[in-house]
Amino acid sequence: MPQNEHIELHRKRHGQRLDHHERKRKKESREVHERSHKAKKLIGLKAKLYHKQRHAEKIQMKKTLKMHEQRKTKQKNDDKTPEGAVPAYLLDREGQSRAKVLSNMIKQKRKEKAGKWEVPLPKVRAQGETEVLKVIKTGKRQKKAWKRMVTKVCFVGDGFTRKPPKYERFIRPMGLRFKKAHVTHPELKATFCLPILGVKKNPSSPLYTSLGVITKGTVVEVNVSELGLVTQGGKVIWGKYAQVTNNPENDGCINATVPGYPEFTRNVLTTTKNTKIQHAVGFQSQDHQEDR
Amino acid sequence: RAAVDFIDITLSKTQRKTPTVVHKHYQIHRIRHFYMRKVKFTQQNYHDRLSQILTDFPKLDDIHPFYADLMNVLYDKDHYKLALGQINIAKNLIDNVAKDYVRLMKYGDSLYRCKQLKRAALGRMCTILKRQKSSLEYLEQVRQHLSRLPSIDPNTRTLLLCGYPNVGKSSFINKVTRADVDVQPYAFTTKSLFVGHMDYRYLRWQVVDTPGILDHPLEERNTIEMQAITALAHLRAAVLYVMDVSEQCGHTLQEQLELFNSIRPLFANKPLIVVANKCDVKKITELSEENQKIFADLTAEGIPVIETSTLTEEGVMQVKTEACDRLLADRVENKMKGKKVHDVLNRLHLAMPAKRDDKERPPFIPEGALIRKRAMEVDAPKRRLERDLEVELGDDYILDLQKYWDLMNEEEKHDRVPEVWEGHNIADYIDPDIMKKLEDLEKEEELKERAGEYDSDDESEDEDMQEIRVLAKQIREKKQLLIVQSKDKDVHGPRMPRTTTKVERKKLEKEMGELGLDMNDKDDSHYAQQARRSRSITKKRKREASAPPTSKTRSQSASRPPRDQSGIRDPKMAKKAKKMMKNSQKDMNRQGKKGEADRHVFDLKPKHLLAGKRKSGTNDYR
Repeated sequence: MPQNEHIELHRKRHGQRLDHHERKRKKESREVHERSHKAKKLIGLKAKLYHKQRHAEKIQMKKTLKMHEQRKTKQKNDDKTPEGAVPAYLLDREGQSRAKVLSNMIKQKRKEKAGKWEVPLPKVRAQGETEVLKVIKTGKRQKKAWKRMVTKVCFVGDGFTRKPPKYERFIRPMGLRFKKAHVTHPELKATFCLPILGVKKNPSSPLYTSLGVITKGTVVEVNVSELGLVTQGGKVIWGKYAQVTNNPENDGCINATVPGYPEFTRNVLTTTKNTKIQHAVGFQSQDHQEDR
Repeated sequence: RAAVDFIDITLSKTQRKTPTVVHKHYQIHRIRHFYMRKVKFTQQNYHDRLSQILTDFPKLDDIHPFYADLMNVLYDKDHYKLALGQINIAKNLIDNVAKDYVRLMKYGDSLYRCKQLKRAALGRMCTILKRQKSSLEYLEQVRQHLSRLPSIDPNTRTLLLCGYPNVGKSSFINKVTRADVDVQPYAFTTKSLFVGHMDYRYLRWQVVDTPGILDHPLEERNTIEMQAITALAHLRAAVLYVMDVSEQCGHTLQEQLELFNSIRPLFANKPLIVVANKCDVKKITELSEENQKIFADLTAEGIPVIETSTLTEEGVMQVKTEACDRLLADRVENKMKGKKVHDVLNRLHLAMPAKRDDKERPPFIPEGALIRKRAMEVDAPKRRLERDLEVELGDDYILDLQKYWDLMNEEEKHDRVPEVWEGHNIADYIDPDIMKKLEDLEKEEELKERAGEYDSDDESEDEDMQEIRVLAKQIREKKQLLIVQSKDKDVHGPRMPRTTTKVERKKLEKEMGELGLDMNDKDDSHYAQQARRSRSITKKRKREASAPPTSKTRSQSASRPPRDQSGIRDPKMAKKAKKMMKNSQKDMNRQGKKGEADRHVFDLKPKHLLAGKRKSGTNDYR
């Protein structure tokens, strides 16, 4: 052993205390009591943390116990039934045939043209103007109140330049401008940090859409060239719509999901009935495509 | 566990060290400041800790190449640098996160929003750290191992031992230094470098023991062997190549020679000695012709071959002196070649005094020094010490310092001298001139007596006085007699003096009569009158036969039993009652109360209860 492992060396040469094993055994058995004492007597934040940790430990213990028990009992073996196995009374019918796939595609294309979409969050709370826009007082006596500052996260394009400060009515502060969104793809089950191309629709108001305000439920277009998706026709997809799923002003980041289907199919995006703002929504159907 | 603990510690520190109270109705700048402070505090902590980790780990480029190489061998340079790089990245990421969120928080217009932002910021920082878990664990292991490496000074005088496994390198270092290296019969007992120190010619020498090296090419060497190779490559030391003559290590001499030749390039510029170990089993002369030729060849090349046996210790010292001398010579030579030596040489000047006449003045060395020097060289047996005697006798040994005394009469040495005699310390009377002093004193006294100093005064005393004197003398004598008698008896221990006890009249008169005093007709004496006056004459009535008292309360208080005895049937109950009383007083006594009704509070507002934050818990006891 290395030269300065004195404790181990001493233990090797002289052995341990005469009562070492007994003490060790007793200490271990006492641990149970001490743990229960702690669990009962802790209060406050420490108690929360401790209980959380302990809960996780217990779950693990239960899992291993169950695993051990599984060996002893017989279980239904799921692997034996192959995928697509059909019970006898359905044998005559066939699965989806090619013709059906083609006809589905045509139907989708028609729906796209009509401009109806299905989105992950169909109903979102509408944001009122007082919430989104803050009144800024200007003028010599600070009486004029025609300026507004956006208090939510917004997106401005690349070539954005402000209007001259004297004339700009809506102030979008630099601190609240975001360029990237964390987009989750539910099928791939992965999250990517993709640059935003633009705000497609904000369900609360077209004003917000034009300003580029991003709140929960906003449909945003993101640049997916990173993912390397390809259409059936062989074209590379570089833009997709994603819907924002969190409150970006509270979290400091934009989390969005791409809907499960490759294209939007039906129009379901509305706001809740409390507000007066209602929509008959229509989207432009194309994903931006690029010939390879 | 390292990352999780790190996160826990930092978060709990943030919780404790920053203000915890904030309300919705506070002004928005105050709320913002509150949460921004938390974010920045957490970031600061992480930053500090990570920077400390980065600075504390040695940079492989900044340390001596020996240690750099050793660390490369042990920990893999790439992995090490990568881990540290990851930590650096994490530190920068955490800083950026904090910056972003602080910027965002400036637009927070409600407590909820600021709180969520703070939560997001802290969460992100902790996630960044959680990702560094493996790096942190690796660095922890490196740190522990690194702190346990032996401290080898690459620049000082060093002897390096190398050779096959099991040839006797560790036994050699055990013999020469105080290092306690494990010596076992299996190969690769020594798995890392060991250091021992020894002294030679008033200088400190390092002896480095390496794990054994096997003979295969460099690429195939494992970590343990690589450590030995690193030491060989970087340390400027005298190399002692140890060979096993008896071939007990499991490798023939040919193989050992092969290894020697293959690592020969590493021995360039280093003084080299071949140590033929285990010669107690087999001497070189007992070997076969070709094996002897190996050694002859080596000697012919100028490499000294010394036979040693670490078991019987022959040759070990020889090896040591040879190696040290060679290394010293080598080092001196190198230093002379260098530039620095001229600075020193220029300042040194050996002054030889010029002869002024023809007289010879040889150096003077006293006799004693010469004798001692000779004794040192010859290693003469020293005089027999007490210690030697003790070792010889073992259990029978008794320390007897009286045998060294210098007395006139030799036989009296072991006499037991008492310390006290007749109440006097003998030590007070030991005086060589004591007889003479006694004579002088006596002569003086005689002279004085003759001169009449001790004659008493010639006062004429009348008969009464003389009678009184005689009587007084008698009384004194009698008194002393009584004292002595009572002391002899002393059955009862210390007693009250006689004057405290009552003396009966009869006894008094009888005793005085014995003494010669006329005790008849003493009814008018003072003592008789006093006795008549005192209450002791009136007899006390017995308690049972008492007449009913005149006044009830006063006499009741006199006739009632005291409260601690009333109603008590037996001593057992009395004891219990007393115990109960004491018990009830315990609390009061402990709190320093004067009694049951003492409600004085010494400290109305104790600091330990009222200072500090209000943590969770009730206000009952605060």
